[in-house]
Formats: sequence, structure tokens, C-alpha cells
Amino acid sequence: MDPTLLVLGALALSGAAATVAGCAEDLESDVGSQSNPNSQVQLGPQMGNIHRYFNKAISGEPVSYGLYVAVAGAVAWALINMGLSVPIALVVGAGIAAFIHGAYAVSAYLGRIVGQSKNFGQPVYMDVVLSHLGPIVGHGFIAVFCMLIAAYLATSMLGNPFPLPLVALIFGITVGAIGSSTGDVHYGAEREYQKYPFGGGVPVANQGDIDIKAETGIRNGMDSSYFCSKLGGPLTGLTFGLTVFLGGWGDIIGEIVGGDLISKSVIAIIVGIIIVTITAYLNRVIEVYARKKYGPYTDR
Amino acid sequence: MAVPLVEITLAGAIINASVHFVPVGGAPAAMATSTGIGTGTTQLAAGAGFTGLMAAAIMAAQKGIVLSNPIHLAIILLSGAVGSMIMLALTMLLGQLIYVFGVGVVPAADKCEKDPITGDYQKSYITPGTTGHAIPTVCFISGLIGAALGGIGGGLAYIALKQLGFASEVAGIIAVGFFFMNAVLASYNIGGTIEGFHDPKFKKMPNGIIASFIASLLTGVIVVGMSIGI
Repeated sequence: MDPTLLVLGALALSGAAATVAGCAEDLESDVGSQSNPNSQVQLGPQMGNIHRYFNKAISGEPVSYGLYVAVAGAVAWALINMGLSVPIALVVGAGIAAFIHGAYAVSAYLGRIVGQSKNFGQPVYMDVVLSHLGPIVGHGFIAVFCMLIAAYLATSMLGNPFPLPLVALIFGITVGAIGSSTGDVHYGAEREYQKYPFGGGVPVANQGDIDIKAETGIRNGMDSSYFCSKLGGPLTGLTFGLTVFLGGWGDIIGEIVGGDLISKSVIAIIVGIIIVTITAYLNRVIEVYARKKYGPYTDR
Repeated sequence: MAVPLVEITLAGAIINASVHFVPVGGAPAAMATSTGIGTGTTQLAAGAGFTGLMAAAIMAAQKGIVLSNPIHLAIILLSGAVGSMIMLALTMLLGQLIYVFGVGVVPAADKCEKDPITGDYQKSYITPGTTGHAIPTVCFISGLIGAALGGIGGGLAYIALKQLGFASEVAGIIAVGFFFMNAVLASYNIGGTIEGFHDPKFKKMPNGIIASFIASLLTGVIVVGMSIGI
């Protein structure tokens, strides 16, 4: 088969795996309330909002996902070199990372909530730990496994010179940075503050006054995940998937157009610059739309 | 030995400068309480920079690439810049979609009356009690410049390490650590959040560059020592 077609297929599969990984990563951080919006869950009891959110800011998302995916990649790499088949090695690697993720999640929840119990009266809900742990570890497993697939394809098919654990580490850091920058905004700026009117963001005076009631009953992390799966999660997945896919797309175009190394590389760079220019234009279109649709504040 | 040492030192200074361009609003931006991307300075710059580093490494691993050839060197660095820009451009664009359609805010910068690129007035679109929100055009363009510099800096450090004779694996992991070191130095210099090149904090950039220059020179000496077996 034509090698360019094989590379194109690997790139498409890699992009698809990255899309699923990004979406699962964001939804996991919504169930567990990690990353920047966690500051509001942490602030809630101090503002008199006793809540049933899971609370696990183990570290910034890029660092924690860098750890999980690098652990998974290192285990998988070792098993592949011991002769185990690749799919099984990837599953075992992601499984071990899931155990580590679970251990960190439980210790982070207990540590953070107990720290607030004495002074602010926030109880430790054991049923919250037990009910949320499955979705946290499950979403984490999906995210880590899909990133390992993308990392394995990058090293075996797409010409990446780095070993699997290093590519896995870089993918983990990148997906954490993307999830923290895109999907978590939907959770932090909208889902945690739905009792306030839509639009306007969260003024400083309202911070910590998080919603503690759900559509029915008392809100928990899984309600947030359900809500964010409508916009924040998919867009996070799309961002990471497109980053992986479009990052390699220019090289494919260069390969198809052909020529010597320099001309192929220049074509790849030009394709990349065109993609960036299109995103800048789209960003401006959205900005103009928002200015016209929502308008300025007139009652200051 | 002298050329890689100069490259490493310059790479550190470039990485530090790049972080100052990236519009990061930290935790307040994640609540749409301040302008910029809703995550930490170091982490976002690293996320974009590593994507660029990988793009540069893939280009450097192509058959026929000679690291001492200036044209090849330029292509590797530009590949790194473009890889990094694609990651940050998509992150900002899709983050903007969430700000506008998921949160309902208008992109508005707090550190300027008018957007220096589009000329749009900003202040009247900022929610009272916040310091702006989302990613207006000036922040987007500043972010793209930062991403390009980050990719070039990461790529340059990787090439210098390769020229010193390190294997790709070792050069990659040292470049990752080197990138983090300079991004953290820049983050200390910024002290929290920055909107981009129009932010008054941007004027502090020379201090950060000097700090990274010194730290990278020292790192370069250690790395050169490692390469000759000291």
C-alpha cells in the first residue's frame, strides 16, 4: 500500500483517539472538580455553601495528566519491549495509571475536605467518594488509553523520534493545558454559577457563592459532567483532536505535492500558517458576533 | 561546543520572552472574571511549546536533514513555530466559542481602552466587577506571537542538544526540562496574569529575559560538560 495513505490513516486514527481523549479528560475534571474552577469549590464552604462536589485539585491538570499518561506510557513501553502484544500492553499501562489516578483522587478529596471541616463545617461525604470514584477513574482510563494510542501511532507510524513514554508525557501535558483552557471554563464560569443570570462572567463579589442545588436534589460532580458534556467536553476533544490532526496534516500535503525535502517542508509550513490565519479570522468573526449580539453595558 | 552553547542560551531567552506574549488569565479567567486563557502561565506555554518541540523534532528526524545547514535549521525552527501556533490558535478559538456561547460574555480586554489591532472600544463591554473576559483580537495575535517564539525556543534548544551529540530521547527530555525552567522564570516575572503585549506588565519582560539568559547559560555549560563526559 502507498505509504502516504498509511500515514494518512494513522494520522486520522490518531486525531480521532485524541478527540475522545480530550473529551474524556475534560469530563473527568468536571466530575472530580479539578483545575482552576476547583478554587470556587474550595472557597464554597468559606462562603457558607456546604456542598457535595468532589474536590480533588491534585495539581494543575497538565502536570497530573502528564504523570498519568507518562506512567501508562512507561509501563506499556516496558511490556512491549518484553514481547507483549501492543494492544494488551497499552491496556495494562492505562490500567495501572487508572489505579494511580484513583489513589490520588481519594487522598486529594479527603485531604482537602478534612482541611475545611473544622473551621467551615464541610462534612466528608463517604458516599460522594464512593459514587464519584468510578466515573473519575473510568473517564481517566479512557483519556489515558486514547492518548497512549495516539502516542504509539506517533512513534511507530508518524516519524516521531521520541520514545513512547516521552511522547505520552508531552501529550498528557498538552491535553491538560487544553482541557484547563477550554472545557473547564464551561464548568467554572457557567455550571458552578447557574443561579446567576446568563452572561457577564463571575464578578469578584460572587466568587465562592457556587450552586449547591441541582435540577433535582443536591448537586454533585456527576451533574456537572452531564451538563458540560453538551459543550465543554466535546469542544475540548475537538481542540486536542484538531491539534494532533492538523499538526500532521501539513506534512501529508507536502508529501502529496512532492518535490525535494525543502519544498515539501516549506509547503507543510505554509499549510500550517494558512490554518493559523483561518483560526484568527474565525476568532474575529466570533468576537464581532458577540459584540453585536450582547452589546455594551449601558447601565453602569 | 560554542555554537550549541550560544543556541541554548538564546533558546532560554526566547522561551522566556514567548511566555510574556501568551494571554493567560489564570483561575480568574476560568470564571470569566479576567481577560485571557483560563489556565496558568507556565502550563499553557509548556503545552504549546512542547507541541512545537515535537513538530521540530519530527522535522529534525527527517532523512536528509543536516543540523549544521542553516536552511535546514530554519525549516526545523519554523516547523516548531507552526506546530506551537496551531495548538494555541485552536485552544484560543475553541475557548472563545465556550466564552461566547457557553458563558455568554463579550471578548473584552481590560488593559486598553481600544483594541490596538481592530480599534474596537473595550471598556463598555466589560462586566462590572470583572477585569475583562475571553480573548479579544489583540490577545489572540499576541498569543500567536508567543506560541511561535515558544516553538522556536523549544526547537532551538533541541537542535543544540542534538548538535552536542545527545540521542533524540535524551535531547527531548532535557529540552522539556529546559523549557519548564525558563517558563517558570517568566511566570515569576509576570506574577499571575498577563493579557499580552499591550499589558503594562509586558514592560517587565527584559528582566525575565536577563534571568533566563543567565540560567540558560549556566544550564548550557552543564549540558556541554555532560556531552564531553565531565
